[in-house]
Amino acid sequence: MQRRNFIKNTSLGMAALMVKPSFPFSQDTILGQGNKRYRIDTHWSQADVAKYPVNDCHEMIQDKRGRILLLTNETHNNVLIYDKKGKILDSWGHEYPGAHGLTLFDENGAEVLFICDNKRHQVIKTTIDGRVLMVLDYPKETGQYTKADEYIPTETAITPKGDIYVADGYGKDFIMHYDASGKLINYFGGRGTEEKHLLNAHGVCLDFRNGGEPVLIVTSRQQNAFKRYNLAGEFINTIALPGAWVCRPVIKGDYLYSAVLQSNSRQWQHSGFVTILDKNYKVVSNLGGSEPTYANNKLDEMYQTIKCFSYPHDVCIDDEENLYIAQWNSDKVYPYKLIPVV
Amino acid sequence: MKKAFLPILTILFFYNCCAQNAFQLAPPMLKYHSVFFKTSEMVSMQFAQPGTKIFFTLNGKEPTQNDSYYTKPILIQKAFTTLKTKVFGNGFLPSETLAVKFIKDGLKIKSVQTTEPNEKFPGNGPQTLFDNKGGVANNQSKDFMGYQTDSVTINVLLEKKQKITSVLLDFLCDYGSWVFLPQSIRVYYFDDIKNEFRFLAEKEIGADSSQQGSTTVFEKLNANKKVLSNRIKILLKPLSSIPAWHPGKGQHGWMFIDEIKIY
Repeated sequence: MQRRNFIKNTSLGMAALMVKPSFPFSQDTILGQGNKRYRIDTHWSQADVAKYPVNDCHEMIQDKRGRILLLTNETHNNVLIYDKKGKILDSWGHEYPGAHGLTLFDENGAEVLFICDNKRHQVIKTTIDGRVLMVLDYPKETGQYTKADEYIPTETAITPKGDIYVADGYGKDFIMHYDASGKLINYFGGRGTEEKHLLNAHGVCLDFRNGGEPVLIVTSRQQNAFKRYNLAGEFINTIALPGAWVCRPVIKGDYLYSAVLQSNSRQWQHSGFVTILDKNYKVVSNLGGSEPTYANNKLDEMYQTIKCFSYPHDVCIDDEENLYIAQWNSDKVYPYKLIPVV
Repeated sequence: MKKAFLPILTILFFYNCCAQNAFQLAPPMLKYHSVFFKTSEMVSMQFAQPGTKIFFTLNGKEPTQNDSYYTKPILIQKAFTTLKTKVFGNGFLPSETLAVKFIKDGLKIKSVQTTEPNEKFPGNGPQTLFDNKGGVANNQSKDFMGYQTDSVTINVLLEKKQKITSVLLDFLCDYGSWVFLPQSIRVYYFDDIKNEFRFLAEKEIGADSSQQGSTTVFEKLNANKKVLSNRIKILLKPLSSIPAWHPGKGQHGWMFIDEIKIY
């Protein structure tokens, strides 16, 4: 090659490199609005599918050692344990065919898990490494159930003293309240026409953000809403989320995060996104969804805008404010990681 | 000099490959009362994603970025109008096309009598078929009457005796829920002079295996002659045996109907 041509080629190459690419990378996409914006990593999981298969990825939590636990209804390994970089550290569990809800609770310094299994119709309390500590069967003592099949628990929330709230989100939509030993104290919710009633009570959590006695936030997914109750099960109010099939509420810091399984306007068409609410239950950001707007204090209908998620099912927020998104019925995809944009 | 293009080509190729990684936009959200309208229908569109625009056509063609983009609600007046919409935006693959067919009201219908629908899908009674509501693919909607019988008869009484040229029926097509179009439609009109129902039009329909998802489909049957009448009888045969390519092979298909128009 002549020197003249070499220089020309090199400079052309350099010029081409300096041109801002007109074609984007998906990882350049910024999701969300305001100060809750994220960059997405769809290849976070480094799990070898032959060794660590997943089916539906239902829920995730982070333990105090910083590890990320994923619950899947794949009985080859119901629980996958990752580090924050997506490397598999451990796995356990073969006996949870309907593994759905995963809640972490610090019991006097020892972390325990509560698993809702909607095929076994049970709630199972285990150690962090999977040893079974307690099993809660269907709550026949309520008088609302004649057989186990009618009870399809989806989520638990545990109070500081160990009381257990169970949401029967795919069954009769009651919220059961047990003491720490598993004795039924109360139940509330259920289906009906009043505002206190629920339809697809898919999630439950405790909200400590306002100080004092915590408040229960319960999902009423088919009504596109969260509903608030006090610990005695008395209804407080509804947080309407028009258009959003919200899964469980997850609170970290001042914010409430929730996977939205799908947009009401495009049902069963992989139309999910993730929503984030502030302390006043005002939607501040939708990741992969429409920019939230309010008219006369009323939230406008929300919907998916970017098809980055199919059917997101849970959000886990780690100690560095990264998000992990587990998805249901999405071609057995591993969770995605979302990194905050500062 | 030829070699000078190589690095550029390589880089263009590289970026083109990466374009496959970009996310696709979702289709826009459309708001309207119903696809069935009396004189006109106002359609508004939403897509709250900065940097994107909704392009649309009303001539049946695929929307491109050379077409009009949405700025304010559009008024549909033409009897059969297909609105096609698509979202474009920098950094994303364009959305799939969302198409909606709007259908104008026909001759005034006084009443409708039907074969009793399945108890789970009664709609809102016979009124369902001429209430100008529906056209939205949702099998839980009260706008549909559902059947799983061998035949369905629908008698339509018009307000007055009029010239009839065609009959339109709107169905749900949702193979995932075992909802198929009827396998045949036969339409009769009442002949006052002969005092009997006489043949007007017919159509045989096959279950097309390429149909995806859930959608509404209208079938318009044109009369092969000019008739004057105030009574129409429609005989529908829901799919008696689901074809082999479907998981419900050999079983009876469902038929969901939400509207009838007589022109």
